[in-house]
Amino acid sequence: MKVMVSVKRVVDYNVRIQVKGDGSGVNLDGVKMSMNPFDEIAMEQAVQMKDAGTAEEVIAVTIGPAKAEEQLRSALAFGADRAIHVKTDEEIQPLTAARILAKLFEKEQPKVLLTGKQAIDDDANQTGQMTAALLDLPQATFASAIEFDGDKAKVTREVDSGLETIEVDLPAVITTDLRLNEPRYLKLPDIMKAKKKPIDAMSVEDLGIEEAVKLNVTKTAPPPEREPGVMVEDVNELVSKMKDKGLV
Amino acid sequence: MAPINPIHSGIGVLRRIGGNPLLERFGLKTPFEKLVYSGSKYGFRAATAGARSFKKISGVTQAQRPDRHAASGLFDLTPTEEQQMIREAVARFAAERLRPAAAQADADSRAPDGLLAEAAALGIASFSVPEAFGGAASEHSVVTGALIAESMAHGDLGLALASLAPVGVANVLTRWGSAEQQSRYLPAFAQDNPPAAALALVEPRALADPARPQTRVMRRGDGWALSGEKALVPLAETAELYLVSAVDEQGEVALYVVEPGDGLLLKPEPAMGLRAAELGTLRFDDMTLPEGARIDAAVMDYSRLAWCAMAVGTAQAVVDYVVPYVNDRQAFGEPISHRQAVAFGVADMALETEAMRLATWRAAALADQGKSFQRETALAYRLCCDKAMQIGSQGVQLLGGHGFVKEHPVERWYRDLRAIAVMSGGVCL
Repeated sequence: MKVMVSVKRVVDYNVRIQVKGDGSGVNLDGVKMSMNPFDEIAMEQAVQMKDAGTAEEVIAVTIGPAKAEEQLRSALAFGADRAIHVKTDEEIQPLTAARILAKLFEKEQPKVLLTGKQAIDDDANQTGQMTAALLDLPQATFASAIEFDGDKAKVTREVDSGLETIEVDLPAVITTDLRLNEPRYLKLPDIMKAKKKPIDAMSVEDLGIEEAVKLNVTKTAPPPEREPGVMVEDVNELVSKMKDKGLV
Repeated sequence: MAPINPIHSGIGVLRRIGGNPLLERFGLKTPFEKLVYSGSKYGFRAATAGARSFKKISGVTQAQRPDRHAASGLFDLTPTEEQQMIREAVARFAAERLRPAAAQADADSRAPDGLLAEAAALGIASFSVPEAFGGAASEHSVVTGALIAESMAHGDLGLALASLAPVGVANVLTRWGSAEQQSRYLPAFAQDNPPAAALALVEPRALADPARPQTRVMRRGDGWALSGEKALVPLAETAELYLVSAVDEQGEVALYVVEPGDGLLLKPEPAMGLRAAELGTLRFDDMTLPEGARIDAAVMDYSRLAWCAMAVGTAQAVVDYVVPYVNDRQAFGEPISHRQAVAFGVADMALETEAMRLATWRAAALADQGKSFQRETALAYRLCCDKAMQIGSQGVQLLGGHGFVKEHPVERWYRDLRAIAVMSGGVCL
């Protein structure tokens, strides 16, 4: 089958985020950027399917600035066969991203679209679901195990009450959770090979996509600093302190 | 009217107060006189107008700035996008696989089972092998090699040495080996499980100069007879291939490909540091080698650069460990980094590490450009020998008692970084 994976360029998870002084956003100057970790898990799933012979072709997709080509090269080094880069310098919010992905899905006709359950920058957790809705396809979110059987996929989902296993008809949209797999180490020869693999670049306008109404971010602020705790001697003191604070 | 001189009028005021008998009564006369003296000597005075008058030219309505100088690349040391990806891939492996295994590998004096194979599976060796032999090297870059070595050594120096020793052998074969030698040995290095192999250059004697070995080869029939001793060889007991430097009867130095066999004696040589690399001594007892064993290679500078790059990686690891430590560790009610003795030490470590890195990259970049890089390599190596050792020691010092115990990795880095100045050979970019 043909598998499409969407990956996003985000601030690396190791970076200590700094809010700009005027509260207009997060400081990105000279900050290390990487592939969204949940998308890496989606990528690993796709490549495992290719290794196992379940997938014949893996296409990596990203929407983002020219620099996002770095993340596509990583995806190609993972083992994607080719990549599509929808170039834009605008901030793309979930509904617009979903429209773009739906359009690419219609164009490429993959059996499955894999993507991270959310990106670690805005943590929206919407794009996968919205894409499935726009395409009127089944969706399986927060996957911690996926099994393909003919035209169906059995997906184990991590939900609040535990694990839930559902069966979806393909084609479908599947979003990946943390415990699905552990992304591989990129091999140096594969990084060299990635250089030679094709990346198809296009603009949002080329796809004829109309941008959805945007949410306006009015202010960005760092979380309040945690105050130091208090050590208590025994349970009685704990209870009385909690009473003082009106917690019990 | 002459302008009022503030000093004159000031002194007038001081004199009037100075004559006051109250001063004497309170014993303030002498200090006050001192004040009058210094006040008149070092006080402010009015600036007199200068002799030059600045003439304005007309017609310029906008501020003028010269164009930015067209970048010549002279000081641009940014790795290429590909080198950056390679660096990140190796750094991730080093952080997640080498670092956690390092303490045990040091205690066991060997790498844990399977770890070197895992490192090899990253393709660091096949990366050095030309495509004709199944490898991935369409081009060879000393800078890329240095970045790989640095990133590996950021994880652990001993395990980096053990992983990179076979890469060094592949590099020598690729750069200087004959078609015959290449087709015999290189395909194995392109596989996921490359042979353990190492360069043997160091000799156990006083005033040893790796460029002038005393290990000798003599003509014997169509081949060679090798005699001598090599020390501090990584993977000495497990290697399936050695490249040994030796001098022939004409006084020429070359490398000889040696497979273990009759005439080769091995001895482990546990050392202060680099314990995971299984250092050992090789003794060649009139060992017979075939005609095709000789490789005319000028390997020293490439080997030294590899040591520089590894020194940079481990020195950076020390800095990266010490900085959060001194910011978290409290003494006298504040982080110890607030003490200048600590802060200055950390700053020195950071700037010396950067200097080592720049000197190393500069030499490597010259090598990639095909220019002479011997002088720059010598400078980089000398710098790394001195500073790596000091940074290791300073790391232990800054952690205080914690630096001395094995709970923290700095004592191991201290021992490992001692090796930079005594090692040459073993690896090669």
